[in-house]
Amino acid sequence: MFYSQKTQYHDGQSLSFKTTLLSDPKFTGNYQDLSVNLPTGELVFVQTMGYPEYEYGQRISLIGKLKVRLLNDKSTILSMSFPKIEHVKNSENYWLAVINSVRQKIINQFQSVLPKDSSALLLGIVFGIKEDFSNNFLQDLKTVGVMHVIAASGMNVTMVSGFFFYIFALFLKRQWAIVLSLMGIIFYDFLAGFQASIIRASIMAGLAFSSQILGRQRDGIYVLFLTAFIMLFLWPQFLTDIGFQLSFASTLGIMIIPQLFKKWENAFSGDLLTTVSAQAATLPILLGSFGTYSVWSVVVNALVLWTVPVLMILGGFAAILAFVFSPLSKFLLYLCLPFLIYFQVVADFFANLKGSINIQNLPWQLTVAYYLLLVSVLVFVFQKSHD
Amino acid sequence: MTKYFYLIIVSLFFLGGFFFYQNAKFNDGKLHLVVCDVGQGDAIFIRTPNGSDILVDGGPDDSVLSCLSNHMPFWDRTIELMVLSHPHADHLTGLISVLNRYKVMHYVTENVENATSSFKRLQAALAVQHLTAKYTTSGERIDFTDKTDLLTVWPTKDWMETLKLQDSKNLDTEGSSLDVNGFCLIQLLSFGNFKALLTGDAGQIVEDKVAAGVGKVDVLKVPHHGSATGMSDYFLSEINPRLAIISVGANNKYGHPAKSALNLLSSHNIKYLRTDQDGEVEIVTDGKTTRLVN
Repeated sequence: MFYSQKTQYHDGQSLSFKTTLLSDPKFTGNYQDLSVNLPTGELVFVQTMGYPEYEYGQRISLIGKLKVRLLNDKSTILSMSFPKIEHVKNSENYWLAVINSVRQKIINQFQSVLPKDSSALLLGIVFGIKEDFSNNFLQDLKTVGVMHVIAASGMNVTMVSGFFFYIFALFLKRQWAIVLSLMGIIFYDFLAGFQASIIRASIMAGLAFSSQILGRQRDGIYVLFLTAFIMLFLWPQFLTDIGFQLSFASTLGIMIIPQLFKKWENAFSGDLLTTVSAQAATLPILLGSFGTYSVWSVVVNALVLWTVPVLMILGGFAAILAFVFSPLSKFLLYLCLPFLIYFQVVADFFANLKGSINIQNLPWQLTVAYYLLLVSVLVFVFQKSHD
Repeated sequence: MTKYFYLIIVSLFFLGGFFFYQNAKFNDGKLHLVVCDVGQGDAIFIRTPNGSDILVDGGPDDSVLSCLSNHMPFWDRTIELMVLSHPHADHLTGLISVLNRYKVMHYVTENVENATSSFKRLQAALAVQHLTAKYTTSGERIDFTDKTDLLTVWPTKDWMETLKLQDSKNLDTEGSSLDVNGFCLIQLLSFGNFKALLTGDAGQIVEDKVAAGVGKVDVLKVPHHGSATGMSDYFLSEINPRLAIISVGANNKYGHPAKSALNLLSSHNIKYLRTDQDGEVEIVTDGKTTRLVN
C-alpha cells in the first residue's frame, strides 16, 4: 500500500488540492517559495509570485502541474511552478490563528533584537524553526554536522514538558499536571511546525507521561520502539524518511552506548560521549543520505553542545516574556548573544577547514556490515564490563 | 542551577566586552561607507560620524541584514534614513526585510511607481511602520548636522514632469530612455572634503547631464552594476574618481560588468573593486584622509 502511494505522482501530472501552510514562505526577488503538504503527506516545493504574501496557518487551494525531480542521492523532490493559488481562509481554525499570532510575535521579537544569523540560530535551537536561515549558514551547519541542534528534537520536547510539569505541579495534582503538560507539548508542536523528530519525541514524551499516570515504570528503549511502531503504523512513509531514521538511530545509540562506558564518565566527557554515541549509531545514514561527513563533526559537537541547554532556557523565557514584559525579554536575548556568536564562530571556523569525506554511493551491504560490527563491539564491551 | 548562574555571569562579562568593542569601532566619529556584498543588486550602507544610519537600496534578498549587523552596534536597531533609488527588485527586496526587523525613521525615494509584487510588498511593509515616502528631486539636500549631507543630483523636477506625462506603463521596459533606470536617483554624499557619487542604475544619457555639476569625487558607485551603457568617457573625465566600486553578483545572467565598462575605467587609470570578487567594500573617512578597509 505504501509503495503504491509513493508512485502515485508522476512528472507533468495536473493536481488540484487544498492544504494548510505549516511553514513560513521564503522570499527572493519578486518570488516566494512555499513548502506545502499534499493530502498524502508528501512535501511539494511551490514557487509563486511574491504578492500576495501567504503566511503560516493559512488554508490555500492550488491547481497546477507537478514536477518530479531526481536528486543525486536518488531521492525525489516534488515541485510546482506558478500554480493557481486561491486563499481559502485565513486560518484553519481559531486555535491555529492563535498559535500563528503567538509564533509570529516570538519570531518578530527574536528578529528585532538579534542579528540575522543569531536570531535564526536561536529560533532553530528553541523551536526548530528553520525558515530564517541564510543558505550559507545552513550549509555550514550541515558541513560540520550540527544540524541536529536546530531540528526541534527530543531534547526540546523533554525540556518543554519538564518545564510545564514543574510549573503545573506547583499548584495542581500530579495527574492534572501531567495532562496539562501533554497539552503544552501539543501547543509547542504547533509553534515548531510539525516535523518527524518532534512528533516522535512528542509521542514518546506522551507515552512516558501516560505510563506515569498509569503508574508503570518507564523504560526508554521499550517506549522508543513502541513510538516507532505507532508512527510507522500511522505513517508508513516515515520508514524512508531520513529525519525519522536519524532520530530513531541516534536516540537508540544515546540510550544504549553511554551505559556501557559509565566507568569513564565525568562532567566533561558527558557531551562528548553522547555525541560519539549518536554519531556511531547514525554514521551510515548520514553518509548515505547527505553524501558528506565531516571528520570535525565530533569536535564541533563537543565544543558547542554545552551552549544548547542554556540557550534553550534563556530563549524559552525570552519567548514567554515577549508577551509579558518586553524589556526583560530583550535583556535575556542579549544574554544569548555571546553564546550564539561563539556557536557561529566555531561552526564557521570548522566549516572552512578541509576534512569532509564525500561519498557518492553507499552500498547497503556496507551499511549492514557496519551495524553488525557496531553491535559486536558493543556486545564485547558489555561482556568485558560484566566479567 | 549554579552552573547556569555562572554561565550568565560569563555571558554578561562578554556582553560588556562587546559593548565597549563595538562602541569604539562604530562610534569613532568618522564616516563609514559600505558597499555591501548582496549578489546581483545594490545595497549601500552609510554610518555618519554622529551615528546616523543610512541605507541606500536593499539588494535582491535579505543578505543586506548581515551587512547591517556587521556594521552597526548590536543595540542599535534604528535606520535613520532609508533610500530607494528606483523600484527594481534587485534594489528594493532587501528593504522589506530591513523594515521587518529595524525601526526606520525616514523613507526617501523618487516619484515612480511599479506594479511588481515586490513593490507591493514594500508598500505593505512601509505601511506597518506608518512611513510615507518623501519624494526627492535634484537640488534637495539632507543635512545630518555632523558635516555629512546627501544631495540629490538627479532626476530634475522638469524631467520627472515631462516623462510622467508619457504612458507610465511603458516606463518599465529596460533599455528605453524612459525606463525606470532613466528616473533613477543619483545622490552625492559629502563629509568634509570627502565625496562619493551613488548612481543606482542610472544610464549614460543621464550621467552625462549631471557630470559637470558634480565635479571631482573620491568614490564612484559604478552605475548599473557595470553595464555597457552606464558610463561615458566624458562622465569619467569630469568626475575622475579615485576609486570605483562595482556592486555585482558572480556569474549573473546579464554579463555584468561589461568588458567595455572595465576597459573604460582602466583607460582612466581608475582603481576599481567588484563585490563579486572582492566582497564588501568599506571606506572610512574623517573628511580629510580616507582609508579603504577590505
